[in-house]
Amino acid sequence: MRHPTDGTLRRILDEPAGVADVDREHAADCPVCLAAVCVVHDDAALAAIAFSTSGDVPDVDAAWQRLSQALAGDARGYAAAGSTRPARRLRSVLRRPAVAGFGVAALLTGASVAAAADWLPIFRTERIAPVVLDQDALVQLPDLSAYGELEIVEEVDVRAVADAAAAEEASGLEAPRVDELPQGVIGDPTYRVGEQVSAVFTFSAARAAEAAAEAGETLPPPPPGLDGGRFRLVAGPGVAAVWTEARGVPALIIGRAIAPTGYSSGIPFETAHDYLLSLPGLPLDVANQLRSFSADGTTFPLPLTDPDGDLTTSDVDVDGVPATVLELSGGAVSGVVWVEDDVVTAVAGLLSVDEVLDVARGLG
Amino acid sequence: MAVSAPLRRGAVRADLEQVFRVSYRRVVAVAARVLGSCDEAEDVAQEVFVKFGRSSVPAGEALGWLCVAAAHTALNHLRAGRRRTAREEAVGSRKSTSADIAEIALAGDERRCVRAALARLPRRQAVALILRHSGLSYAEVAAALDISASSVGTTVRRAEAALRKELNPDAPSD
Repeated sequence: MRHPTDGTLRRILDEPAGVADVDREHAADCPVCLAAVCVVHDDAALAAIAFSTSGDVPDVDAAWQRLSQALAGDARGYAAAGSTRPARRLRSVLRRPAVAGFGVAALLTGASVAAAADWLPIFRTERIAPVVLDQDALVQLPDLSAYGELEIVEEVDVRAVADAAAAEEASGLEAPRVDELPQGVIGDPTYRVGEQVSAVFTFSAARAAEAAAEAGETLPPPPPGLDGGRFRLVAGPGVAAVWTEARGVPALIIGRAIAPTGYSSGIPFETAHDYLLSLPGLPLDVANQLRSFSADGTTFPLPLTDPDGDLTTSDVDVDGVPATVLELSGGAVSGVVWVEDDVVTAVAGLLSVDEVLDVARGLG
Repeated sequence: MAVSAPLRRGAVRADLEQVFRVSYRRVVAVAARVLGSCDEAEDVAQEVFVKFGRSSVPAGEALGWLCVAAAHTALNHLRAGRRRTAREEAVGSRKSTSADIAEIALAGDERRCVRAALARLPRRQAVALILRHSGLSYAEVAAALDISASSVGTTVRRAEAALRKELNPDAPSD
C-alpha cells in the first residue's frame, strides 16, 4: 500500500486515535514510515521547545479590569465623537507615572513667552535641532554654574489631570487627539500638564575665569556688558497625552508646549552665542555642532546622548513643517519633534518611524 | 467559523466577561508563543478581546475565534517591524551550525531567531503551528482555520519542517 502522508504521520504523534487503523498499522511496521516518523517527531519536538513559554500566569482579574476600563473609555469616545469618527481611543493603565512625567519634563526644558519689560527677546524657537553628545562630552560639559549664577525662578511642576478638558484648561493648549492609534496602542491616554518654568542666568566673568584656570586655560576677554549680564529662559506651559502599555512604559506619548524663548538684559544674542561657544571647557565637537546652527536665535538645541551608538536622526516634514526624526534601537523606539506657531510638539513611543509620523500627521 | 459581525457602536456583548474569564489565559498563551513575551501577549489579548466584545461571534466558536485572532494579531505585531523585530531579523540571518538545535532554541538570541523564523512562514502554516502547540486539538484547529482535520496534520508538518530549516539551514532536508 501507499505510505501514509507526512500529515498523517504527524497526527499519529498527537492523536493516534484520529488516524485510520490501516495507516496506523502500516506506519508501525514500515521501516520507511518509522524513519519518517522519527524526523517528524524531532521537528515537532524542536517546535515544542521553540514555542515553550515562561509559565507566567496572567492575572485574570487585573486583565478584566483593564479591558472593562478600555471598553468604557471606548464608549465615552463614541459619545464624545458624536458617532462620526471611529473611536479607537480606549483606556490605558499607567503603571509608572514617573516615566511619563520624565517625558513631559524633558519636553518642557524649553521656554515660553513671559517677557518682562526690561528683558530683550533674543531667542525664539522656530526649529529644534538635535545635538548628539557622546559620553565623554557629556562628562566634560560644564555646568552653567561654572560661568555664573543660575536661579530657577519657576520650577518644573508636572502633574496629572483628569482628562483632556482639564489639561486644556490648565495649560491653555489644545490637548493632542488621535483618531487612529497605531496597532498595539490601546486605551484612552492619561494627561499631564506642566506649568511654565523659567530660570535666570547671570554671567560672572570672575567665576568663568576661575573655571578656566581650573582647567588650565585662560578666559578670553568677555565682550563689553557681558559681565553681570542676565539671560532669562522661559518654558511651557505644556500638555502631554500618554498611552501606556502593559509593562508600564509609554507606548505613545504626545506632548505640546510653548516653544522655548530666551531674553537678555541687554547683550545681543549673537554676542553671547559667539562668546559662550569660545569658552574653555566646552568640548570642541559640541561647540561645533552648536555653531553650525544658524546664529539667528531660532534653532533650539535638543541635547541627546547615544551611549549605545544606535541613535539616528533625520529631517522630515510634518504637514509642510520641518521636523526632526529620532530613531533608537533599529526602530524599536522612534520620535518626531517640530515647532509650529511657537508651539513645540513631540510624538514618540515604542513605535516605528512610519507609525509616529502617521500619528504626527493626523493630530487633531 | 462564523463571520464576526460588529454590534452596534459602543455596544458590548453580554457574555464577554464569562468568555473572558474562561479564555483569557489561553488567548495570552497563544500570543505569548508568537511573541515570546507575556507582557506583549497581554497587550495582544486586550486588543483581541476588545474586538471580540464588539463582535457577534457565536459563543460556541468563541475560543477558536479568539485563538486565531490572537495568533494573527501577534503575527501582525511581529511583521509590522515593531519593537524588537529589526534585531530579530539580524539574529535570524545568522546560520546555526550546532547539531543540538533544541538546546540552542532555549537561548535568548535564538528565541528571537525563532520569532523571526515564525514571521517568515506562510501565515496559515504559522497560525496552525501556534494553535497546535497551544494545545488546540486537530478538530479545534480545523474548525478555527476552516480546513479539514486531515489537512491540519499536513499544514502543521510543513510548518515544523520549514521552521527547522529556518533555524538550521545546514541540516539535511527530509
